[in-house]
Amino acid sequence: MKLNERFIVHTAGGESILVPVGGAGFSGVVKGNETFGAVLEALREDCTEADIVRALCARFDAPEDVIARDVRRALDGLRGIGAIDG
Amino acid sequence: MTGLYRIAERNIRIVSLHAAVHDYCRDYRAQGEPDFTVETGEAEIARERALAAREDLRAGREPRPYGDAYLEQLAVYRAIAERMPQFDTLLVHGSALAVDGEGYLFTAPSGTGKSTHARLWRELLGERAVTLNDDKPLLRVGAEGVTVYGTPYDGKHRLSRNAAAPLKALCLLERGAENRIEQVTPGEIYTLLLQQVYRPADPAALAAALRLLDGLLSSVRLYRLRCTPEPAAAQLAYAVMKGRET
Repeated sequence: MKLNERFIVHTAGGESILVPVGGAGFSGVVKGNETFGAVLEALREDCTEADIVRALCARFDAPEDVIARDVRRALDGLRGIGAIDG
Repeated sequence: MTGLYRIAERNIRIVSLHAAVHDYCRDYRAQGEPDFTVETGEAEIARERALAAREDLRAGREPRPYGDAYLEQLAVYRAIAERMPQFDTLLVHGSALAVDGEGYLFTAPSGTGKSTHARLWRELLGERAVTLNDDKPLLRVGAEGVTVYGTPYDGKHRLSRNAAAPLKALCLLERGAENRIEQVTPGEIYTLLLQQVYRPADPAALAAALRLLDGLLSSVRLYRLRCTPEPAAAQLAYAVMKGRET
């Protein structure tokens, strides 16, 4: 899976913001914490959910099951607004 | 029909079906080589009709029967707004005034009262206050600061002037039971302001627009004004935004 090209990841004030291009079906913006930002970063390249969990485990000091749950939640949200291909 | 217009310091060649598109821009006619061309036709008109209908339905209204010439005019400005980020220029939904040559921009969702508040400034300040654009001004974000430009696309009151001013302050407007203004940080209004910036459909242009928004927010003083639609609101806002009271 990969981030849909109609969404741009932007960082402002230390927060990761997902912004859809004009005319996209979804018109809001999504802001998130560092974990959310790391998920978005991973989705710039084609990857699997397991790849993302591995990348975040290497980066954050938290139990794998907690990270896996956060990643799943972020991906569900992103799928819900059509921000993920594949 | 074809015409050349100079808007926000760029020469724009407009090729359209309807003459009204050109009449609308007549104060901006220019000579010279175009920086870019926008061309509109039946497809762009149909797209604007669909977008307008979607907006009406979202607002709980029956889609209004807009004429083709009006829809083409919207399409032309959309095409201009798509290209402008590559010239460090951003379209922001708001009412822009120049007072004694300094620019002030009020932004808020439609229906909040931007035009009403801008009118209160004109009533307060008389000829010192000039509306550059009452609906969709262009802002050029450069190393030397931000410049706000009048454009022909100026909203239902048709208030604009072919002029520019260095932007001194930007104010997010909210309705309130009393008048209160505070200086804010970019983070406090970022998301709200992002909703009032034109978002290009092209991803690269959108990324450029977001960088320009960051530049805008770090270049001018930012305020949040909760206000009533009364003269006291303009008195307070002008006194504070001009810098007499901080």
